[in-house]
Amino acid sequence: MTRKKILGSHVKRLLSGVSDHGRRHLTEVETDLVQTNLLLEEAIDKLTGSFMAIHRSVDARQPAIDRLLAGAAPTPEEHAHLAGMSGEVAAHVNAAVTSLQFQDMTSQLLDRTLRRVTGLRDFLATLSAHGDDIVPESGGEEIVEGLGKVSMALAIQSQALRSMLRKSVEQRHLESGDVELF
Amino acid sequence: MAKTILAVDDSSSLRQMVAFSLKAAGYQVVEAVDGQDGLDKARQQTVDLVLTDQNMPKMDGLTLIKSLRGLPTYAKVPILMLTTESSDEMKAKGRAAGANGWLVKPFDPQRLIEVVKKVIG
Repeated sequence: MTRKKILGSHVKRLLSGVSDHGRRHLTEVETDLVQTNLLLEEAIDKLTGSFMAIHRSVDARQPAIDRLLAGAAPTPEEHAHLAGMSGEVAAHVNAAVTSLQFQDMTSQLLDRTLRRVTGLRDFLATLSAHGDDIVPESGGEEIVEGLGKVSMALAIQSQALRSMLRKSVEQRHLESGDVELF
Repeated sequence: MAKTILAVDDSSSLRQMVAFSLKAAGYQVVEAVDGQDGLDKARQQTVDLVLTDQNMPKMDGLTLIKSLRGLPTYAKVPILMLTTESSDEMKAKGRAAGANGWLVKPFDPQRLIEVVKKVIG
């Protein structure tokens, strides 16, 4: 292979490597952000529903409470309705507690996104640092060697980043999770 | 006397929700911010159940379980994982480390209490 062809293949390898690694990581960033958005939207919907339901539960008892405060004796229906208030509100609070766990999941996703973006910045810094080693006076063999080194360094860095960022949150909804006793 | 549960999670909001749910059911709750803190608190006071997250700084849940199982006082104390992790591979690792159960987040407070009652009464 001529020197020109060797140089060309190294340049091609470097460019495709940067493109592949960059796209792969950015696709993961996109997926994590979409998942974060889904969880946030569902959390807001469900929490709004829970808070409104708590308000309705309390509000529905207000006439009976007003009558009691005015000195009237509760009817059997009012008695049962008031006695069931705690359980009804507790059910809505439990639903809210499940939805509130969006924070734990989204913070893990955002932390993963942040670390990936930081890793990509370091990835580009490596590219720049190796680029500085190639000066206008560099000969063809020096350039080929430099390109080989930077391709290798970037591949290692990208692999390290991928293995460091194992996905720990697969949930796309705020439904309560499985329980398994061993 | 109320049974004591050690809740280990690096998310303060999650710890609050676990403590809120368990205290409402009559349990005492000791909170720890990560695996290392959980191990320290477990050494200070023997609890009836450990409920731990997996992904935490300083020490993760699996390492905490292995460390606890190395302590004579924790050889038989039930340990449950409460984590976003749901893969069979991670569950198998938890089981091998000595966990007695696996709960996937988000948890439903009523379901959590049912499981805790089943395990420690």
